[in-house]
Amino acid sequence: MYSNAYIFRYAGLMVILVATILSSAAMLLKPLQERNEAIDKMQSILSASGIQNVTADNAIELFNDYVVNMIVIDDNGNVINEFKGAGKENSEAFKINLKEQLYNKSVNRSFKLPLYVLEKDGETINIIPLRGVGLWGPVWGNIALKSDFNTVVGVTFGHKSETPGLGAEIESPVFKEQFPGKKIFNDEGEFVSIGVIKGGVEKFPAEVQRHNVDAVSGGTITSNGVNDMLKNVLESYVPYIQKRG
Amino acid sequence: MQEIFNIFVKSIFVDNMVFAYFLGMCSYLAVSKTVNTSVGLGLAVIFVLGITVPVDYLLNDYILKPGALAWLDPEFKDVDLSFLSFILFIAIIASMVQLVEMVVEKFSPALYSSLGIFLPLIAVNCAILGGSLFMQEREYQSLAQATSFGLGSGVGWFLAIVGIAAIREKIRYSNVPKPLRGLGITFIITGLMGIAFMSFLGIKL
Amino acid sequence: MSTDKQEREPLFSTKNRKLLTNPLNIDNPITVQVLGICSALAVTAKIKPAFVMALSVIVVTTLANLIISVLRNGIPPRIRIIVQLVVIASLVILVDQVLKAFVYDVSKQLSVFVGLIITNCIIMGRLEAFAMGNKPWPSILDGIGNGLGYGVILIVVGFVRELFGSGTIWGFQVIPEAFYELGYKNNGFMILPPMALIIVGIIIWIQRSRNPELIEEK
Repeated sequence: MYSNAYIFRYAGLMVILVATILSSAAMLLKPLQERNEAIDKMQSILSASGIQNVTADNAIELFNDYVVNMIVIDDNGNVINEFKGAGKENSEAFKINLKEQLYNKSVNRSFKLPLYVLEKDGETINIIPLRGVGLWGPVWGNIALKSDFNTVVGVTFGHKSETPGLGAEIESPVFKEQFPGKKIFNDEGEFVSIGVIKGGVEKFPAEVQRHNVDAVSGGTITSNGVNDMLKNVLESYVPYIQKRG
Repeated sequence: MQEIFNIFVKSIFVDNMVFAYFLGMCSYLAVSKTVNTSVGLGLAVIFVLGITVPVDYLLNDYILKPGALAWLDPEFKDVDLSFLSFILFIAIIASMVQLVEMVVEKFSPALYSSLGIFLPLIAVNCAILGGSLFMQEREYQSLAQATSFGLGSGVGWFLAIVGIAAIREKIRYSNVPKPLRGLGITFIITGLMGIAFMSFLGIKL
Repeated sequence: MSTDKQEREPLFSTKNRKLLTNPLNIDNPITVQVLGICSALAVTAKIKPAFVMALSVIVVTTLANLIISVLRNGIPPRIRIIVQLVVIASLVILVDQVLKAFVYDVSKQLSVFVGLIITNCIIMGRLEAFAMGNKPWPSILDGIGNGLGYGVILIVVGFVRELFGSGTIWGFQVIPEAFYELGYKNNGFMILPPMALIIVGIIIWIQRSRNPELIEEK
């Protein structure tokens, strides 16, 4: 039998060993990981606006080329910070922690949100980053709107741990290709967001089709998560959009 | 108070660990031969979930979350230890399970031998780690909410395993095709129960 | 301590080969040992994730079996569960961190599986049932064998669910357009988790009809 002293020594040694290995790995690899995450975010933003062939190597360069303005707005829709120079990947708007800001929103504290303005083929495209909750973990994405802040140009979605083949299908082209052309405001100029609904959008009248897309099959909770995420995030930008006139 | 009760009811029926999320299947299928053993295992799961979820909640709130260490010193407000959450949650769960194992061994040797390899396997019962990860993800506002979620999930799991055990005891009198007896039919019944529970999905409380 | 006159076993003796082949059939981790069901439900809606998961589990069981088998004589029984879990979890987290730093695209594909691998009871089950009491080399074989046995079932279930649920195999459309025009519909039910349970139940049925010694009498 093993003595208690041995057990404690063994456990202690194991904890120290594992903690050292894991934290040194985390510390050493962190800069690389953060860079990868930033690049991934840029790729996602660029791909939402329909810019193809973005690789990990040219993402920073292309991002600085295409993005003309990075704006931070507050909950009343006022612009509190703008950034137009080079090195946009270090600007406040790029680094805002969306999760934290949306949490502030949910508990009625003041919050600020980023908005990325791109110029592509002479057209202005506004990108709104999204964040919400799926079935198992967070889901996120970007939605690109035309200069009228109404018509969708494109979207990208990502997720941490949705079920492969079910909820994870929000990443698939089939799901994303439904978005371009949809509107987030109705004809009266009221905000309606874009809904993710079950059972076949094409059966509904054109009025409904304009604001809704089909859910991914078998991924009801993830689809609801995307639906809520779009509504929750987009509505936060409504004051800003209306102030612009 | 009402919120806490809602979370409790919801985690039993709507967000049932077994039928809605299909977590904790291995021990659920393997230890559900008789109602007696499944009651034992079910109680152990309630106990473990009821302890690990609140403990992991405190751990997450005061140590792991980005900025959680600010209570020690404002300087630490940028520290983000969330990469450790998996391993710490698992460690807490494993120690609780070990504790339960020792207690059961001491007070109920019969239950201990019938649970066999599956007692240690509670530690990897995905329902338990799932409980902690859901808790982290859903950002419960208080310890009471987290506790009620943990207990509720445990009760939901308990109900599921006792339910299937009761069905399995009855089905012994039915003429199931031989190769399907035991495990095979249990899989299929669980599938059917899961389909039935889908009707709860999406109820808002 | 014992009169162990046994000669050195050849690397692939009959006994060792059994370690590899038994899990494929009569000692299959999913259909006989009832291990790793949760993850089997989560990843089999399509073949591709099933394949990725099978591959990762083979790697992790093999490595974890090896490590625990090397350490087995020093692990105090009272804290063995913690030790086993810490080994598995650190292995998986470490791999995930390295992938995230160097091959981010691969890590994005795999990050979903990280939690599923840690809580996969196959790994823990094999550590507890085999690696704790056997030498490193048989443990490695046991790890590979069980990983394969798990993978086979996963891929079969994934195949059935993807074919009937989405009409595709590995993402490629295999059910011709003409069928759909004639009124064929994908069975949406197939991609829901309960159907995986039912398919595994049917696999057990087939397997036990062919191997009557596995039939449970009561």
